[in-house]
Amino acid sequence: MQPILAIKGLTKSFGPNVILRDVDFEVFPADVVAIIGSSGSGKTTLLRCIDLLEEFEAGEIRLDGEQLGYRSSGGRRVRLPGRQLAMQRAKIAMVFQSYNLFPHLTALGNVMIGLTRVQHKPKAEARAIAEAWLERVGLAERRDHHPSALSGGQQQRVAIARALAMEPRLLLLDEVTSALDPELVQEVLLTIRRLAEAGTTMLIVTHEMRFARQVSTRTVFMDQGGILEEGPPEVIFGSPKTARLAEFLANVSH
Amino acid sequence: MQSFASVLDVSSGLLLRGLALTVAISIAAVLAGSVIGTVIGPILTYGGRLSALPFRVFVDVVRGTPVLVLILASYYMPAGLGISPGPIEAGVVALSIFCASHVGETLRGALVAIPPTQIDAGRSIGLTFPRMLWYVLLPQALRQIAPNFVNTAVEIVKASSLLSAIGVGELLLTTQEIVGRTFMTMEFYALAGALYLAVNLTIGAGGWWLERRFSAR
Repeated sequence: MQPILAIKGLTKSFGPNVILRDVDFEVFPADVVAIIGSSGSGKTTLLRCIDLLEEFEAGEIRLDGEQLGYRSSGGRRVRLPGRQLAMQRAKIAMVFQSYNLFPHLTALGNVMIGLTRVQHKPKAEARAIAEAWLERVGLAERRDHHPSALSGGQQQRVAIARALAMEPRLLLLDEVTSALDPELVQEVLLTIRRLAEAGTTMLIVTHEMRFARQVSTRTVFMDQGGILEEGPPEVIFGSPKTARLAEFLANVSH
Repeated sequence: MQSFASVLDVSSGLLLRGLALTVAISIAAVLAGSVIGTVIGPILTYGGRLSALPFRVFVDVVRGTPVLVLILASYYMPAGLGISPGPIEAGVVALSIFCASHVGETLRGALVAIPPTQIDAGRSIGLTFPRMLWYVLLPQALRQIAPNFVNTAVEIVKASSLLSAIGVGELLLTTQEIVGRTFMTMEFYALAGALYLAVNLTIGAGGWWLERRFSAR
């Protein structure tokens, strides 16, 4: 089976700080990969590189075999022009910690903008798709509200609808419950769980360990910019091989 | 001795024509200036140092120059290039330049203030930069500068009185002519002041109405 996402030797630094070192990683259809690790281990940067929001120095990321972000020209790596980056980004969707909804648009407008302005669907069709997605995340009756009139959990569910309406090959979730009030976390986790059960391929960066263990088909532990351990969740959480992972799990479990 | 009422009766047509010219020139300058300023603002913000440089210089020079100097320059300097604009054309050009630099600079401030996470979100969806500018960034920035924009429009109306210096028959020059004939200094300057005030209060009310309409966010 061909992987949807194949990462080889991904390396990224900010100035003298190496954020990602030589990351190798594959994601197959319907995989739900949870990425865990302490702050600064490079989890978020990994997602941002995959969504082409960051440039990286070495390595390659392939989506369905197509190299993302760069092409080789005479042995040199060249960043793709903006239009091609935009086309590649449209195939991958990302949901952010701080929702990042467009404040001047309604919930419906937020979900529709990619359909009309990226996929160039007719307005009526876009509207029907957007309404269906808002319905699926349980916000059909809030569609005409602006983000400022929605709770954090509702905003995040609109952001999930906005991402999925594009029918991406891959969904990236970056600590999507970290900014939420505790009582709003469950509604968002439930939404993600339903998507996982429906076969959506996703990469989930999360601090919710119990959720990671329950929802993921594979768990990845990142430490100091590299992947230290990966495997089925019951192995990663149940019998960590490295002292570092054991220490991390002990620290987050209480 | 003539009465104010009888003079007003005779000269009201003249005065109204002056007022109409003031309003027309101001509208033309605000429209042209806003369009040009809306182009300049994004270039200043996202253009990169090199392509932004000429616009940066333009904005700083215009903002550092008295409006009267801009007006005189627009009227007299083109003659050196063999062009001789009429006073109204020159005046509209000068006020448009003035308006463009103000709109461009305030728009830059508003664009810079938009959180970069908005750009992340737009990129992530797959918007190209021009589309992101048009559908995501400009709508937010323009809403942000709306109150400031009312001020700019009011400034333009007030600055249009300076066009009397190059012989544009707008409200102030018309008033001066009437005063010159009748010596009713107090009455007609007060009337001119009241008319300027009325125009600017109307702009303020329009701005308030627009803000209320678009404040749903």
